[in-house]
Amino acid sequence: MVQDTGKTLRAGTYRSVNLPETVEVEEDASGLPLAVKTPRRQAVASVEERWRIDDEWWRREPVSRLYYSVCLASGHRLVLYKDLIDNCWYKQSY
Amino acid sequence: MRILCVLLPHFPLKCEILRNPEIGTHPAVISCGAGSRKLVLDYSPGLDGLQTDMPLQQALARQGKAELIQADVPYYWSVFNQILDGLETRSPLVEGDKLGITYLGIDGLQLIYPDDDRLLKGVKEVLPEIFVPQIGIAEGKFPAYLAAGYSPPNGSKTLTGDISTFLSSLPCDILPVSMKSKSRLRDFGINTLGQLAAMPEGPLQSQFGPEGRRIQELAGGNDDTPLYPRLWEEVIEGSTTLPSVTVSLETMLVAMEGLLSPVFARIALKGLGISSLTLWTRTWDSEHWERKIQFKEPVMDMQAAVSRIRRVMENFPQPGPVEELGLGVTRLGYPRGRQKSLFREVRGKDNLLEDIHQLELRQGNPQVFKIKEVEPWSRIPERRYVLAPTGR
Repeated sequence: MVQDTGKTLRAGTYRSVNLPETVEVEEDASGLPLAVKTPRRQAVASVEERWRIDDEWWRREPVSRLYYSVCLASGHRLVLYKDLIDNCWYKQSY
Repeated sequence: MRILCVLLPHFPLKCEILRNPEIGTHPAVISCGAGSRKLVLDYSPGLDGLQTDMPLQQALARQGKAELIQADVPYYWSVFNQILDGLETRSPLVEGDKLGITYLGIDGLQLIYPDDDRLLKGVKEVLPEIFVPQIGIAEGKFPAYLAAGYSPPNGSKTLTGDISTFLSSLPCDILPVSMKSKSRLRDFGINTLGQLAAMPEGPLQSQFGPEGRRIQELAGGNDDTPLYPRLWEEVIEGSTTLPSVTVSLETMLVAMEGLLSPVFARIALKGLGISSLTLWTRTWDSEHWERKIQFKEPVMDMQAAVSRIRRVMENFPQPGPVEELGLGVTRLGYPRGRQKSLFREVRGKDNLLEDIHQLELRQGNPQVFKIKEVEPWSRIPERRYVLAPTGR
């Protein structure tokens, strides 16, 4: 029998791909993104799509996100989301 | 054969208290089983109307205020195995029959322990105090079990000579025979072992078949069931906690591959393959799933092992979203016939993997990764793919 080393077991060798990155976002009064710092400040020209994800609500750390697919003034498209649990903004490819 | 039986009453509950002493301060019920077929595995002493293996719903109807705990069977077995390891320092013949019930063969031990008192003292020394053991000594497993059952907590009882007086008033329900036979005995108005022992053998055999003879032998205190001592075997175990709970078979298989890879790396040098392994998972609400896989021919490579694991996991679905999983390789074997390749380039991939493995050993952590699709349908983008170390 192999002795238990007592080390905490975790999936340390597996890494998620496409993890969200924090980003600074200026919001308007209704909560819509006005500008994004990436790292230069860029105004949001239009919000093209918006959707919400609520998942794992039964767990201690549920997932609740409001995603925005935005078009920046420079013409670039970006997917942002506001985490409704910690109220922070993140960017992530969707 | 003289047998010493060690009973550890309410063993699962005591294991839970060992882990979390607060559980001992209030009534609790431990349940096991999957889905709607949940049964009571154990409960706090003093909870009236409860018994093991009764439906959980029935138990909760009687003791609604008791805290409900999901059974962690692998943990109970690991504690029990540690106890059995300790008992093996007292006798080489130790059988862990069920959780909390142990039989020791004690013939010949008088050379080490001149009398029963010293033997009992030696046995108690290796048992953790929290389990409050009851110990019985008798000729045969069943009488020893009864002696233990009727001994006081932390005490012992020895049955010697004619034990028919002790047995005569005991109920038939304690016989280790089928529920059907017990029910039929009740229907015949036979309630005590004394009544059974007084009956002639013929009618019992005609009514109960081969079990009739065993029933009468047990009622007379004779049990020739052999002791099945634990066998030494090398077990390679591993487990991992998933980054997030999942129902995806692919995610689970990636993790299983990660656990199997070091096993193959370890046994391949000896030319061994895996003959038998046990898979287990634990869901987010602590439900346990376990399956044993026997391979007809020892598997020598990851692909064959994972393909079989996949089939088993597809055929026996998980009881819920999985949070932790593990495996134990319980038997290794040599392949009966295996043809090696004549061409060196066929082994090119193996050489590359070996180089990657060497690099990993030198740097102390994985250096080369590959992207694996695990939950491509997930609404949460970071759950769709993982970077898994190459060669695992």
